[in-house]
Amino acid sequence: MTTSESAVPEPLWRRARGHVVLVAIALVCAFPIYWLLATSLRRPDDVGSLSPVPWPLSLGNYVDATEKVDVIRLLANTFAVSGVSAAGQLLVALLASYAFAMYSFRFQRLLYLAFVGTWLVPFQVTMLPNYVLLYQMGLINNLVGVIVPTLCSALGVLMLRQHMAGFPKELVAAAKLDGRSSWSILWTVVVPNLRPALAALSILLFINAWNEYFWPAVVLQRSNAVVQLGLRSFMGTEGNDWGPMMAVAGLACLPVFVLYVVLQRHIVNAFVRSGLK
Amino acid sequence: MAEPYLYLAPAVALLVVWTYRPLVQAAQLSTYSWNLLPTTPMVPVGTDNYRRLLELPAVGDSVWRTVVLIVGLLPFTLVLPVVVGFATRGVHGRARAIYQSLIFAPFLVAPVASAAVWQWLLDPGAGIVNRVLGSDTNWIHEPATAQWVILAITGWHFMGFAVLVVSAGMAGISGDYAEAAQVDGATRRQIDWWITLPLLSPTLVFLGLMTVLLSTQWTFPLIDTLTQGGPSQATTNIYYLLWDYGFHSFDAGLSAAAGIMLFAGFGLVAGVLVWISERISFHDD
Repeated sequence: MTTSESAVPEPLWRRARGHVVLVAIALVCAFPIYWLLATSLRRPDDVGSLSPVPWPLSLGNYVDATEKVDVIRLLANTFAVSGVSAAGQLLVALLASYAFAMYSFRFQRLLYLAFVGTWLVPFQVTMLPNYVLLYQMGLINNLVGVIVPTLCSALGVLMLRQHMAGFPKELVAAAKLDGRSSWSILWTVVVPNLRPALAALSILLFINAWNEYFWPAVVLQRSNAVVQLGLRSFMGTEGNDWGPMMAVAGLACLPVFVLYVVLQRHIVNAFVRSGLK
Repeated sequence: MAEPYLYLAPAVALLVVWTYRPLVQAAQLSTYSWNLLPTTPMVPVGTDNYRRLLELPAVGDSVWRTVVLIVGLLPFTLVLPVVVGFATRGVHGRARAIYQSLIFAPFLVAPVASAAVWQWLLDPGAGIVNRVLGSDTNWIHEPATAQWVILAITGWHFMGFAVLVVSAGMAGISGDYAEAAQVDGATRRQIDWWITLPLLSPTLVFLGLMTVLLSTQWTFPLIDTLTQGGPSQATTNIYYLLWDYGFHSFDAGLSAAAGIMLFAGFGLVAGVLVWISERISFHDD
């Protein structure tokens, strides 16, 4: 993959040093995650143990957690919110990027800048007017109110536009000659060829929606309808119940980690590429 | 030809309703005094909110803490990733993929879960950090250390992402330049410093922008769940202050004014960074 390596070959000691550096950083990065899972899987009496391997294993903390909060409902709600939000963002971004990639029209550059410009508007600036609007719509303390303001993803538009720009124009031109409408070309020619990019983007959007905290905290206030807020309810300042808390934290990470283990390379690539414009 | 506008309509409508309308309304709101209750009238106060902002010591302090946070994050999002990128060029294949997957993992941990596990690691009595160090520091609730805790957790979260972005950036640099320089007798160090690093500058500018625009916002859930801005305001950065004015003090006008100043500041920083990148970036084409 790296052409620079072939130009300047690496001596053995450099490679060994590279391994040492990477192992050290990997351990530092992974340890808190390991400790989270290890603590949650200890027996409730062993939670304070420092033994590196949780043994004997126990689901006692998970059972305790389900007695304190309705974990199943929290996870189901979060799944629904993240799934609908990701699907909506994908659809909206697909249509918008199609317009940007396949047409040239007046105000194209200005409209494109309007999408890029959203990076400059922090959530905290728009939160009050958006809160007031949701209040007027009666969507405060409502899961719909969590989803609707997230539906336009500038990131999604930018990423898909780039993928479509590299799409062979001849295919589209040929389909046009067949007399097909742009709508049918989108769904029968462009989308099937864009499947890997769409899959990567939808995973990225789902993970972001799943991990979102700020907007649910504003809209749902002190009710704890999604798992991130449910976890917050465990975090008092004094006398934490560490075992169940780590169990809920583990559950709050579980779907994302399952996705990560299954689709590791794709997820890393999706995130990193989203950073490389 | 109305077609492109039809395809754009849903996205633009959402953009207007949820981003640009509130931005304009925040600008209007910043000239009023209002406590967020639908029943109380909004009183126009002109530029009073902005004057109060400039006079309130809490605002200056929180801006300063935000600057400290951004500068403190740069080692995690720029310096270390570049050092790691250079130090690990020789590692390939399966081993590299495993390291990368571990390094990237913190980026996927939900912020509240991060807060929870770090609270557990740093618990003054039972946490593993104090038991290994043999100390009884209350890391999260002492003014001297609280901000460093927030900084360390945020750095932990973003470092893996930055490492992978840098290594992807380095992989994208053509080896021809290094080869040509080597033929001309350049040492490895000279090649790194005068060829690879300049060619990496677009990546570095991107990471700088990400640090300024995104990573400090990511501290919000940590602060909200761990410290609520305390102890004695030690972790109140500008984002948390905006939230605090809006939803705790119910001072909508002041919060909106601070938000508009923040937006202007962001625009300035982003503009400067883009300008710098256009001046100093060397493009590989």
